[in-house]
Amino acid sequence: MRGNAMLLGLRIPGRSPVHRAPLWAKYAVLAAGGTAMVLWRGPWTAAAALGLSLLLYALAGRRVLAAWTGPLRSLWWLFALLAVHQWWLNGPAGALAVVGTMVAGLQLARLLLLTTAQADLVDGLARAARPLRFVGADPEAFALAVGLMLRSIPAVAGAMQDVGDAARARGLGRNPVALAAPVVVSTVAFAHQTGDALAARGILDRDPEAP
Amino acid sequence: MISFRAASVAVPPALPGDPDPVLLRPATLELAERRIAVVGCNGSGKSTLLRLINGLVRPTSGAVSVDGLDSVRDVRRLRRHVGFLFTDPLSQLVMPVVVEDVELSLKATIRDRHARRAAALAALAAVGLEHLAERSVYDLSGGERQLVALASVLAAGQRVLVADEPTTLLDLRNNALLQRTLFGTLGGQVDQVVYATHDLDFAARADRLLVVDNGTVVYDGAAPAGVQAYRELALGNAGAGSGPR
Repeated sequence: MRGNAMLLGLRIPGRSPVHRAPLWAKYAVLAAGGTAMVLWRGPWTAAAALGLSLLLYALAGRRVLAAWTGPLRSLWWLFALLAVHQWWLNGPAGALAVVGTMVAGLQLARLLLLTTAQADLVDGLARAARPLRFVGADPEAFALAVGLMLRSIPAVAGAMQDVGDAARARGLGRNPVALAAPVVVSTVAFAHQTGDALAARGILDRDPEAP
Repeated sequence: MISFRAASVAVPPALPGDPDPVLLRPATLELAERRIAVVGCNGSGKSTLLRLINGLVRPTSGAVSVDGLDSVRDVRRLRRHVGFLFTDPLSQLVMPVVVEDVELSLKATIRDRHARRAAALAALAAVGLEHLAERSVYDLSGGERQLVALASVLAAGQRVLVADEPTTLLDLRNNALLQRTLFGTLGGQVDQVVYATHDLDFAARADRLLVVDNGTVVYDGAAPAGVQAYRELALGNAGAGSGPR
């Protein structure tokens, strides 16, 4: 199975102020930006948010700034379609408001992923999930599950590519329904192996002395 | 010392009334050698035998223990003593960055983050990979991934390593590198290595070799003679037309 590059962005290591900012501060900027864009929806807010995202990417270093265009390169057709549709419905200002807000929101969220180590994200999530303890859940297990989910996206994408290639090699079409079954089977097999590997490493085991 | 005391593994039958399909017939073994190889055809029960050692499979009857730790009763302590390396390194690397994955193995034992990072870097250095610490696991070559997985499964100070076909996905060069690491570099940390393989040169380097066929240990002894016995068994069977299992 292939491990694919992530669409949304793997971390770009660095020592910029953005990289070193605490996790809560990054979330605060993301939440404030998102809230502002919803409350004061309009072309000016969208433009300001886009500018802010560019500014923060630039602050995070040249390599992060270069990654700004990543999703636009692969998803440009989606935004273009949306822009044409909005232009037709609401005029150019409406198109800028909707598409600009979406792109800015996406970029602010990506910045968090690009500049934070996944271990820090998972630790932060475990801290945030601490109240779950009162209903009997294990915050560490919860955070690990989310980390596993993030890491499994490229594995599932790789499985889809493998199955698609195998079908084409046999001269079969790309009927998504026919491809779904082998993808699900290989994904479940991958999940089994991951489960075995976690168990073998004793990752969620507590000290044997503890109850 | 790895001991099997009449350990066997059976699974429930597909149809009620059928006899239980047996994955491993009762085996009694005392394994004290440093390097132990397990060879056998696909589906012969090699993996089941290996998985018993680290408690991934429980014996249906009998018992398995490693250095006095029972594979059912003391399974948690056992896993801190026995590391398990799988064939596909990607399925056992959990975190996207090399050093973070090694740190995950240390989470249960080292609370302090800085100490944990230092211990993870030391574990990577033990297999000569400290320069890859900050790399994404997706950017590594197959051989590097397998070595990272090795560092991860031994990070908590495991003294025994069980490896299920660790070189199957590797090219010749990485195969040699992994063998060198297992038998040379890690010599000081790891007391015992038990490995299954289809690479008969790799198998021949063991101090003791087990041949498993149809759920039974059919040969137990010196490696070169064992490789010969396995050749006769596998090629003889194919000639007799029993077909692949």
